[in-house]
Amino acid sequence: MSAQLQRGENVLIGSLAQIGRCGLFLLRILASIPRSLRHARETVRQLWFVGAMSLTIIMTCGLFVGMVLSLQLYHVLSIFGGTSATGSVVALSVYRELGPVVTALLFAGRAGTSITAEIGLMRATDQIAAMEMMAVDPIAYVAVPRFLAGLIAMPLLSCVFCGLSIFGGHLVAVDWLGVDNGTFWSNMTANVDVWDDVVNGVIWKSLVFGAVIALIAVFQGYTTPPTSEGVAYATTRTVVASSIAILALDFVLTAFLM
Amino acid sequence: MSQRKSYAVGTGLFIVFGFAALAYLATQTTSIVNSHQGASYIIDAQFANVGQLKDRAPVKVAGVRVGQVQSITLEPGKDVADVKLSIDKKFNQIPTDSTAVIYTSGLLGDQYVGLQFGNAKNYVTDGSHLMLTRSTQPLEEMLGKFFGAGGVADAIGGSYKVTAHFTNVGALSVGAPVKMAGVAIGSVIDVKADPVKLDATVTIAIDNKYKQIPDDSAAAVFTSGLIGSQYVAIQPGGSPNSLKDGDQFVLTQSAMQLEDLIGKFLVNGSSSGNSNAGGNGSSNPPAGKH
Repeated sequence: MSAQLQRGENVLIGSLAQIGRCGLFLLRILASIPRSLRHARETVRQLWFVGAMSLTIIMTCGLFVGMVLSLQLYHVLSIFGGTSATGSVVALSVYRELGPVVTALLFAGRAGTSITAEIGLMRATDQIAAMEMMAVDPIAYVAVPRFLAGLIAMPLLSCVFCGLSIFGGHLVAVDWLGVDNGTFWSNMTANVDVWDDVVNGVIWKSLVFGAVIALIAVFQGYTTPPTSEGVAYATTRTVVASSIAILALDFVLTAFLM
Repeated sequence: MSQRKSYAVGTGLFIVFGFAALAYLATQTTSIVNSHQGASYIIDAQFANVGQLKDRAPVKVAGVRVGQVQSITLEPGKDVADVKLSIDKKFNQIPTDSTAVIYTSGLLGDQYVGLQFGNAKNYVTDGSHLMLTRSTQPLEEMLGKFFGAGGVADAIGGSYKVTAHFTNVGALSVGAPVKMAGVAIGSVIDVKADPVKLDATVTIAIDNKYKQIPDDSAAAVFTSGLIGSQYVAIQPGGSPNSLKDGDQFVLTQSAMQLEDLIGKFLVNGSSSGNSNAGGNGSSNPPAGKH
C-alpha cells in the first residue's frame, strides 16, 4: 500500500517536474528568439517542412470533414425543416471547433512527430553536442526555428482547413443535396461573425495550439535519452501529450474566448 | 543555394496561400459587412419591452440596413429600456417624428429595429430622441390572443360544476376556456366518454361570479379562428331559473369537423353546379343526395 502510494507520489512529482522543465525550456526558447534572427533562413526552411509539406493532408482532411459535416447536418436539420441553416451550422462548427482542433491533431501527428524524431536523432548522434563545441547555440539554431515555424504554420493551416471545409460543405449541400446556393451563403454570412468566429475561433485557438505542439515536440526531442528506444518513446509522448493538451486547452480557450 | 531558394519560394507560396484562405474566410463567409461601422451618429429610443433585441442588431429602414443597435440599457428608475441606435452618417434624412419598431425577421429569426418615417420636415441629428416607439409583442401574448386561451380566468372566487353531453367534442381538451359572449367565465375540467350513452361528457367549472346563467342555455363547442384551439361557448336561454352546481346542459351543439364541413361544402357546390348546368332534363343528379 505504502509502496503504491510512493509510486503514485513519484509519478505525480515526476510529471510536475516534467511540466516545470517544459516551462523553463519555453523561457529559454523565448530568450533565444533574438539570437536566432540570424538563422532566419533556418526558420523559413522549417516553415517549409512543417507548414507547406503538411498542406496536402490538411487540405484533404478539411475537404472531407466539411463534406461529412454537411451531409450529417443536412439530415438532422431536415427533421426540423431547417436545411437552409446547413451552411451557417457547418461554418460555425468548423470555425469554432473542428477547424483548429482537427488541424492541431493532424499537425501534431504530421509535423510534431517529425520535429521530435529529428531533434532526438540529432541528440542521439551527438550533433547537438557538436554544435555546442562549434559555439553555435543549439537552442537558437535548432529549437527556436522549429518553434517559430509551428507557431506561424498552425494558423495558416487552420485557415486553409476551414476554407476547404466550407468548400466541401458547399459541394455536398448545394451540388449534391440541393440546398439553394444563395440561402447557403446568405445564412452563413448572416450568422458568422468575423471577430467572434474567425479571429477568436480560428486564429487565436490555432496560435495557441501551434505554440503548444511546437513546444512539446521540440522539448521532447531535445530532452530525449540518446538511444533509438528513447527517440521512439519521445515521438510517442509528443503525440500523446500534444493531443491531451490540445483537447484540454480547447475547452479552456472556448470558455475564455466565447 | 538554388535548393535554399526553392524552399524560400515554396514557403512564401504557403504563407500567401494561408493568408488568402484567411481573407476568404473573413470576407466571403462572415458578416464583415454587418459589423463594419463607418462614420455614424447616435439617436436613442425608449421601448417598453425590447424582447430578444441584442447589441449590434441591425437598424433598418424599409428593410435596408442603415445602422446597428449600439447599446441597450435600463432607464434608471423606470421599467423602460433605453436603446441607442448608431445610424450611418450617409442616412442623415430621418424625420424626427419617425417611429422605431422592434421587428422579428421571420418566425424564429433575430430581432431588429425598423424605422418608419414620419412627415416632419426636420431630421434627426446626433443625440436626438425618437418619441414614437413600438415594442415587441411577446409570443405568449400573441399566441394567447390568437388562440383565445389567454383569457382563461383563474377561478379565485370559487366555481360550480356543470356537465354537458356532446356527440362530438372535436379537439376540446381539459383547460380550454368556457366563454359567454366571448368572455371567459370558466374552464373545462374534465372530458370523458360516457360508457352507456356513448357520447362525450364534458364537465366545466364556471366562476361563482356568474351565477345567473339560465338553465336552458345551450353549450356549443366552437373553434377560435380557423386553426385556433377549441372552447365551450354558452349561449344564454330565457329561463327564469339559473344553473346550479351539478346541473346539466340540455341543449348542446357538437364540434364541427373540418372533414364534415368540407364534405358538405363540396357536395353542395357540386349539386348546385349540376343544377345550373343541367338544363336539358337530366334529373336526379347523384351528387344531390344528402
